Amino acid sequence: MTRFSQATPDPLRPRGPRDNDTSRRQFLKLLSAGAGAAAATRLDAPFASAQATGPVKIGVLTIRAGVAAPVGAAGLRATEWWAERLNKGGGILGRQVQLVVEEESNPKDTVERYRKLVLQDKVEVVLGGISTGVTLALGPVAEDLGTPWLSWDGTTQKGVEETMPNPKWTFKSVDNEVEAIVAGILTPKYFKGIKTVAGIGNDYSYGHDCWESYQAVLKRYIPDVKFVLELFPKLGVTDFTSHIAAIQQSKADLLMCSFWSGDATIIMKQAAAVGLFKTMKGVFTTAGGVHDSLKKEFTPEGLLLGYNTMYFDDPKASPLLKQFVHEYKAKYNEYPPYECDHAFFDAESYKVAVEKAAGAGKKWPEKAQVVKALEGLEIESLSGRRSWREDHVQMCNFYQGITTHKNAYDFVTISPIEIVSTKQAMKPAGSKLFDWINGWKV
Amino acid sequence: MQKIFNLACGSFYALGAYVGVSAVGWYVGAGGPPALFIVPLAVAGLAVGAVGVVVERGLLRFVYDRDETFQLLMTFAVVLMMEDAIRLTWGTAPRSTGGLYLAYGQVRILGATAPVYNLIVIAASLAIALAIGWLLTRTAFGRIIRATADNRDMAEALGVDMRRVYAKVFTLGTALGTLGGALVIPATAAMSEMGIELIVEAFAVVVIGGLGSMRCAFVGALAVGILRSIAISVYPELEMLLIYLIVIAVLVVRPRGLFGGAEA
Repeated sequence: MTRFSQATPDPLRPRGPRDNDTSRRQFLKLLSAGAGAAAATRLDAPFASAQATGPVKIGVLTIRAGVAAPVGAAGLRATEWWAERLNKGGGILGRQVQLVVEEESNPKDTVERYRKLVLQDKVEVVLGGISTGVTLALGPVAEDLGTPWLSWDGTTQKGVEETMPNPKWTFKSVDNEVEAIVAGILTPKYFKGIKTVAGIGNDYSYGHDCWESYQAVLKRYIPDVKFVLELFPKLGVTDFTSHIAAIQQSKADLLMCSFWSGDATIIMKQAAAVGLFKTMKGVFTTAGGVHDSLKKEFTPEGLLLGYNTMYFDDPKASPLLKQFVHEYKAKYNEYPPYECDHAFFDAESYKVAVEKAAGAGKKWPEKAQVVKALEGLEIESLSGRRSWREDHVQMCNFYQGITTHKNAYDFVTISPIEIVSTKQAMKPAGSKLFDWINGWKV
Repeated sequence: MQKIFNLACGSFYALGAYVGVSAVGWYVGAGGPPALFIVPLAVAGLAVGAVGVVVERGLLRFVYDRDETFQLLMTFAVVLMMEDAIRLTWGTAPRSTGGLYLAYGQVRILGATAPVYNLIVIAASLAIALAIGWLLTRTAFGRIIRATADNRDMAEALGVDMRRVYAKVFTLGTALGTLGGALVIPATAAMSEMGIELIVEAFAVVVIGGLGSMRCAFVGALAVGILRSIAISVYPELEMLLIYLIVIAVLVVRPRGLFGGAEA
């Protein structure tokens, strides 16, 4: 097999930002049109005029199978809702939006689909990416291909540390451990006298990182707190009977759980069956992701429950959120979870950035101009004002609160509602997580 | 008995779970009393076992005499196809029977609280195990099954219709799988990949218990369940490791399983 040297252009190598929109076929077309001489000098210039007509192609990556499929479905539904609404209103700078949807699965296959979106479908932007296991691999590819990528829920963190502190094309979700940090801040406020804590999370990075972060924060507020048990069943386990028995045996004052999918509902049900929360307080940092499956029959009042960045039943909801919740319920007979907010924010911020970069001339901007316009941009999302930090990380509010049965639904909601900003609960750009937490003035 | 490596047993378990959820949803929607939900659940779980006839007659009978690798690959294909069929029919979100799990309340046993539903499932499992034992050892059909398992050619030479016996045995096995899936569902939630989870555990059960008899599988299942629970209580990091360490040790030291006989 012939290997190309460093100096030889590799025809199979993905094109970088310099030659982003110029394909060999377009080049040959120009030559055949007798414009060879002109084309030779224009190889590096994007075909702005050709790109600025017809629909805007937007790539969407979403999980369709496995435990995270409902999360992926929510993100896609919100993106479709955004596109439909936008197209009715005239699109972006007069161009209709066309979604090209691909599946997020394992890192290798998802990277291939990402390449297909950019190189073959020639999308203007890619939205989506949920699992950090996948998005960690997508980051360098997005940088190489030179098309903006706005992740819904995935980061480029390895553990709790950032691997891409200064990306150009990659826009990442909130740091994974933020909801555990928020829960750590709120635990001493709502549960006085906690001396011992047990923890359970999935046996992969998210579960372990949330537990470590929660412990670090709680220790700042309750220095003599003891962590008496930690359990990490693997993702996909559906029988927690033995885990719950071990949690009962630990006689901890409080259980912290970072489950976020169907397993949150299952453990809640199996815990209720043995009366676990009659003697123990509970913190579910992320179970709001499956909030409408947490039925009152088995989910007690008095737990701390996290909804990530959007709470569907917020009494102070904006007209936008109210409209979205109403239409989502009417269409899917479900109440929307937080992933809708991440997805809507990504899509809407792209639209606003394009319009901002286009300026008064309303000429379709280059991709690099859109990226510049995204940096620091603040817009109205479903959950309220959200923004992009200068280092391309989402800034937003987190909603957590105490479960209550006093509502019109057959599942729990929260009251009071606590809103904690990422300005308070997310490590600043460039800092180390545990140094930052240990430096807090509590 | 059929000397076939059937990975699709986990898929039947998942299918039973989903059909059970749907049956209970239909039953509750039709206004049935919650206390009797176990009836439609068990009936639906058993009935969907009929899919075994289709799989056995439509696929497996063609591979009985083929290499084991071929059987393994084909039943794995069935696993993947059934996983997709489940997704297509029931969607990707986990499905559950809501709070019906707690419909029978709880009891205190030796200082611990246990849901009555769990006790019902344990009792049902024991009853099924005894019924199968009775079927195998006390009935004419059981004798034919055992004879076929021992020496298929001889049984066939003596006039046993192998086609019917295989279809019946496979369907019975499938129905046990689907019923198991249905009965477990109130305590948990149906997820499309739950079948694969079960196959892995079932593998550990048959290796530890030993192939070849119901008794071995029964003891193997108890051993795996109890060992896992002890590991979680004593040293949680060993939860999965312990089981597979034992699997490796059994494969090396006693390949026929801890409770398998010399000729099993």
